Amino acid sequence: MIELSDNELVFRFPEIHSEAHLTINFQRTLRIPDDQRDYPLPPGLGRFPLFHVDDYAAELPAPWARRGGVFLPMHQAEGMWISFKGDYPFAVKVATGKINAVSGETWTETLTGEPQDYLVVPEQPWLDGYNVGHGRIRQFVATPLGQDETVEEQLTGEAAHGGIQILAYPMKAAYFEHFFGQRNQFWEGVCSAPTAMSPDMGLAAGGLMRQRIHEDPFGLACWEQATTSRCFVHILNSRHFRQVTGYATPQEPPSAELYSMAGLPWFELNDADHAALEGAPPLQQVESLKTRRVREGKPSPEDSATIHPDQIVGLDASKGRPVDSRF
Amino acid sequence: MCTMWYTVPMEFGKYLRSERERLLASDPRFSVRQLAQRVGVEPAYLSKVERGVTAPPSEATIRALAHELDQDPDMLLALAGKVSAELQAIIRKRPELFAELLRSLKDLPDHAILRVVREVRDGDW
Repeated sequence: MIELSDNELVFRFPEIHSEAHLTINFQRTLRIPDDQRDYPLPPGLGRFPLFHVDDYAAELPAPWARRGGVFLPMHQAEGMWISFKGDYPFAVKVATGKINAVSGETWTETLTGEPQDYLVVPEQPWLDGYNVGHGRIRQFVATPLGQDETVEEQLTGEAAHGGIQILAYPMKAAYFEHFFGQRNQFWEGVCSAPTAMSPDMGLAAGGLMRQRIHEDPFGLACWEQATTSRCFVHILNSRHFRQVTGYATPQEPPSAELYSMAGLPWFELNDADHAALEGAPPLQQVESLKTRRVREGKPSPEDSATIHPDQIVGLDASKGRPVDSRF
Repeated sequence: MCTMWYTVPMEFGKYLRSERERLLASDPRFSVRQLAQRVGVEPAYLSKVERGVTAPPSEATIRALAHELDQDPDMLLALAGKVSAELQAIIRKRPELFAELLRSLKDLPDHAILRVVREVRDGDW
């Protein structure tokens, strides 16, 4: 079951284990420059607000009500990252427009080991973008569906889904007891064709960032694939937010340049001892939002000038709870 | 009634003191004096609350204590024999419905109660 609480999705599996909880939220952040340099991790600037689709169904496109789930508002070309919290291990699949953000393959509801198409949390505390390999990702950046810019549209030629899809598989209770009978030891030991006026958004590939997607240290057999929970997270174009919800539109985050000029910190997870996945070939072929717009002669997102973050805070992956430090 | 009046402050105070002392072991900011200052009460008063010789403080102070001690405010309020003003307002709005709901849930195990919280509906996609 999934509950929406304080702008977080809370996944619980009481039928598997009383401790099987996973909390996921979506963090507002800076859009990093898309200039082929790779950047450290930008900060979390607070959670995106989340709403039940059912509460605003009359104001939203009909397919949203059919899919259920939740929605969040994003500005044009706004960045985001996904935060995972909990002490119980989960395998988590994340897709955008039903394209897997780790493997680049189309959505399936089973776990694949070769190539690995899921994250293992809480070992992987964050996901900031698409797995392009060599310890790097391309940032999740919002763009309206229907402009052939999202990863979904580039890989499938269609703007059928948009949004973000999440599927969580808890660790089987017997494996949990086996690995975590002595708590906290394990982690240290291993390592409809939308138009431009549509409120529907999807995610495109932004600038490059240093982030390793960790290999599963447990193995496929450990994950409970018969009991899972999934959620469709729609992305509402912020231009439609007030009309749909009646609330004031959230402010836009500062630019990466302004943030850096203010001397505020960027982050880096010290996780070199964790094996990292190879980049996903389909995702490596995707054009970044800026490259595509420049090639098509369209205005590219502003604030994409190169910056040189000099305040980089290292966070230690082995200390168990680095998540709260990235704010 | 007399027993209630005696037991509630004792239990609340005992719990408060044990949590504060646990934190104090690694952080001197959790002395009676410093904690009292942060939640806006006199140290002597906080000490009396901890010893159960006076009734638990106001909802606002309990919330401030919950925040400082990283406790769930509803749990701490319940330990103090109180129901938050927010929950009271929810019940007052539809008293019969909520009274019936709470009575029907009172003996259910935790996992069954979790089933009645609002789930994010999953549809067809």
